[in-house]
Amino acid sequence: MAGTTEGVALEGSMAPLHTSWRKLMMWVFIVVDGLMFAGFLASYGFHRLANANWPAQDEIFSLSFIAVMTFVLISSSATMASAVLAARNGSPVVTRFIWLTALGGILFLSMQVVEWSHLIHEGVRLYANPWGDALFGAYFFLITGFHGSHVLSGVILLIIVAVRSMKGRATPEGVELVGLYWHFVDLVWIFIFTFFYLI
Amino acid sequence: MTEHKSFGYGLYWKIWGILLVMTLGMIFFDQAPVPRAALIVFLIVAMLVKATLVAGYFMHLRYESLALSLTVVVGMLITGAILFVLIAPDGMRILELSGR
Repeated sequence: MAGTTEGVALEGSMAPLHTSWRKLMMWVFIVVDGLMFAGFLASYGFHRLANANWPAQDEIFSLSFIAVMTFVLISSSATMASAVLAARNGSPVVTRFIWLTALGGILFLSMQVVEWSHLIHEGVRLYANPWGDALFGAYFFLITGFHGSHVLSGVILLIIVAVRSMKGRATPEGVELVGLYWHFVDLVWIFIFTFFYLI
Repeated sequence: MTEHKSFGYGLYWKIWGILLVMTLGMIFFDQAPVPRAALIVFLIVAMLVKATLVAGYFMHLRYESLALSLTVVVGMLITGAILFVLIAPDGMRILELSGR
């Protein structure tokens, strides 16, 4: 009787949410990091409400260009999900899917460099811009820069996992964890795209 | 561990297609002559649906244990609500003052 109780308690204490501690910690990280982005976007919304001369996005951004960036990121999420499934099935295509995802990330970052260069050329700075309230530039570089740094970290992680996969050293769980991170980067972009570029 | 039997490559690419169509729809309505309030409601609803699809299917939250899903979703909602409660009063006051 006592042995059974101990067994149950041990099982419960090792996996209280029926998942591995690695995946649980990744979810904890995602929630915490997501709230940081929520804080940035809430602060952005507050300042935008407070400043009547906030620049009009359609005059600044090329929406078709941002749409292509979004397309690239969504597509890389689909290849990442396919990589996770391939890893779980033990399929050799997993490496190809991870490389494709990394390529999507690199493409997204390259497009972000083009967008930033264009806006810097137009005169957007952290403290000023030609169209309206000075805080616009600060929020633009902070939010898209912070997201871009996440994409860069994701690309580095993907390259590491892809190389490990080529050597046959990547585990399905390792691929799933980097996948969770990559989808989170895509998830955050959905919010940035809506609040910063559309609304 | 929960068994993952109900998803496959086909489902992922179907979700990819839905996300793509929704993104194009959001851009289309953003350019269309739609009342501002209706546009904002539409964009936010579309954004939340897209986020749910990514979290549910790509991140497999739909297939995880209920305990993990609730921990993530309820945790996000509660902290998001706290953020809103802290910021909304000042935001509303600014709207009142600016007459918008």
